[in-house]
Amino acid sequence: MARAVTPQRKAINTIAAWIIGLLIFFPILWTILTSFKTEAAAVAFPPQFLNFDWTFENYTTVQERSSYFRHFWNSVVISLGSTVIGLIIAVPAAWAMAFVPGKQTKNVLMWMLSTKMLPPVGVLIPIYLLFRQFGLLDTRTGLVIVLTLMNLPIIVWMLYTYFREIPVDILEAARMDGASLRKEIIYILTPMAVPGIASTLLLNVILSWNEAFWTLNLTAAKAAPLTAFIASYSSPEGLFYAKLSAASTMAIAPILILGWFSQKQLVRGLTFGAVK
Amino acid sequence: MAVAEDAGSTGHRAAASSGAKRPSRLLRNPMSKIALVPMIAIALVVFLGGTVWTIVYSFTDSGLLPRLDWAGLEQYDRLWSTRKWIVSIQNLALYGFASMIGTLVIGFTLAALLDRKIRFEGVFRSIFLYPFALSFIVTGLVWQWILNPQFGVQGIVRGWGWESFSFDPLNNPNIVMWGLLIAGLWQGTGLVMCIMLAGLRGIDEDIWKASRVDGIPVWKTYIRVIIPMMRPVFVTALVLIASGIVKLYDLVVAQTGGGPGISSEVPAKYVMSAMFGSQNLGQGFAASSMMLLSVVIILIPWAYLEFGGKKRG
Repeated sequence: MARAVTPQRKAINTIAAWIIGLLIFFPILWTILTSFKTEAAAVAFPPQFLNFDWTFENYTTVQERSSYFRHFWNSVVISLGSTVIGLIIAVPAAWAMAFVPGKQTKNVLMWMLSTKMLPPVGVLIPIYLLFRQFGLLDTRTGLVIVLTLMNLPIIVWMLYTYFREIPVDILEAARMDGASLRKEIIYILTPMAVPGIASTLLLNVILSWNEAFWTLNLTAAKAAPLTAFIASYSSPEGLFYAKLSAASTMAIAPILILGWFSQKQLVRGLTFGAVK
Repeated sequence: MAVAEDAGSTGHRAAASSGAKRPSRLLRNPMSKIALVPMIAIALVVFLGGTVWTIVYSFTDSGLLPRLDWAGLEQYDRLWSTRKWIVSIQNLALYGFASMIGTLVIGFTLAALLDRKIRFEGVFRSIFLYPFALSFIVTGLVWQWILNPQFGVQGIVRGWGWESFSFDPLNNPNIVMWGLLIAGLWQGTGLVMCIMLAGLRGIDEDIWKASRVDGIPVWKTYIRVIIPMMRPVFVTALVLIASGIVKLYDLVVAQTGGGPGISSEVPAKYVMSAMFGSQNLGQGFAASSMMLLSVVIILIPWAYLEFGGKKRG
C-alpha cells in the first residue's frame, strides 16, 4: 500500500483516476442532464452540455402519464419488505453457521451459494404457475416472497462473513452471565454486527430495487415497481430521449442518493464484504 | 473476505470453538439446527422443488397448462432443431466468455493502476461502483441511446467531420452481442476493480521490496507473484461475474429486445416466449432444463476442484 511514491507519480495517478472515474460516470451524468432538456435540445448537435434551457417539463409529463409515485412506493415496499423478511430468516441461520459450525456447515454454505449460480429461468415457470394458482400475480406480496427467496443465499453468506469477525468469547461471557439464547442474539450479537447488517441491508435493498427479471414477468400494472415502469417507457417512447431520461433519473435517484450518504456501507455491501 | 477462504477456514474455526465451549454443546447444537431450519426448508422447497418439477415436466407435451402426458425426448428434439434456441445458446456462450475475460482483465488492470495512494479514494470507489448499483434496465436504455447511430457516438463523431466513421453495433446482427457486452462491462467492471483493489492492498509490501531488490520487472511480478497470491479474490470475482451471466435477460430486453431479427436472443428470453408467446410450456421446460444442466456441468467440476480438494488437506 505505502509503496514509495513520488509526488509527480501521485499526481499522475490521481489524474488517471479522475479520467477513468469521469468516463464511468459520464453515462449517468448525461442521463441526468438530458432529463432537464427539451426533446429538441436532447438530440441537438453539437450536444449541449450545460448551455441549454433547463426545464422540469419532462418530470411533470412522466408523473402525469404514469404516476411515478405509485411505482416508487411499490419499489420501496418490495425492496424493504423482502430485505427485512430475509434478515429475520437469515440472522439465526448465519448465527448457527458462524458460531456453532458442524461438519456439514461448509457444504450447506457452498450449496446455498451455488443456488445463486443457477439461472432463475429454471424455476420461473413453476413459480409463475404457483402464483397464478394462489392469486399472487401482480401483487406486492408475491414479489416480496419471490425476492426474499432469491436474495436469501446472499444475505446468509454476507451475515456469516460478518458474524465470523465477532469474537466467540463475548457471546460466551454473556451466556456465563445467564443470558438466554434469544437475548444473546438480540442484545449481544445483533448490536455488535450492526455495520455488517447495515451493509447487508443496503446491498439487498439495491438488489431488490434493481431486480427486473421477476418484476417484469410477475407484475402487470398494479404492483409494478420502478424497473417495470422504465421498461414500459422504452418501447413506445423509444425516441423521446428527454422523457426517457427523466424516467430513468427518477428510478435511479433514490439509489444514487442513498448510496452517496452511506458510501462506506455501499462499498462494503456491493463488494459483498470483500472491501472493508 | 472470499469464498474460498471462508470455506477453507470453517473447519478450523469449528475445531477451535468446540474446544472452548464443550459444556454447552449438547444444549446448543439442537438450537443451531433449529435456527437453520427455515432457511434450508426454503432452499429445498423452492430451488430443489422447482428444479425437479421443471425437469420432470420437460419430458411431457404440456401446452398451455402443465400436463403429465409423457412425450419422452420430443421437446428436446424440437428445442435443438429450433434456430432461435441455437442462436440463444451461442449468444450466451459468447457473451459469457467475453464478459468474464473482459471484466477480469480490465478490472485487474484498473486496480493495478489505482493501487497507489490517491486523493479522494473513497469518492472514486463509490463512482466506480455506481454502475453496478443501477438496474440492468437503466443500463440497457442508456447504452441503447449511446450506441444509437443518429444521436450517439456515431452521430457525434460524424458531426465532428469524420463522415465515414461507422459504429452501429445494435443494428448489425453480426456484432450486436458486442454492443450488449460494452454495456455489461460498464456495469460490472467497477465492482471487480474494487474487489481486486482490496486484494492488492492485502499483499505484503515486503513482496514488492523483494522483487525490486531482485530486479524483477513490475509486470512480471504481477503475473508471476501477485496474481497467484490473489487466487481467492479472483474466485470471488468469478463467482459474482458468473452469477450475473446466467441472469442475462433484463439487459437484452431493455437494449435490443432480442433484435435485430433474432440475433441477440438469449435462453431466458426463449423460455419466456415459449411460455407467454407460443403457450408451449413443454418447450419452456426443456429450455430451462438445458440451462440448468449446462450450469451444473460447468459448475460441478469447478466447484470440486476449487473447494472439494481442500477437504482432506
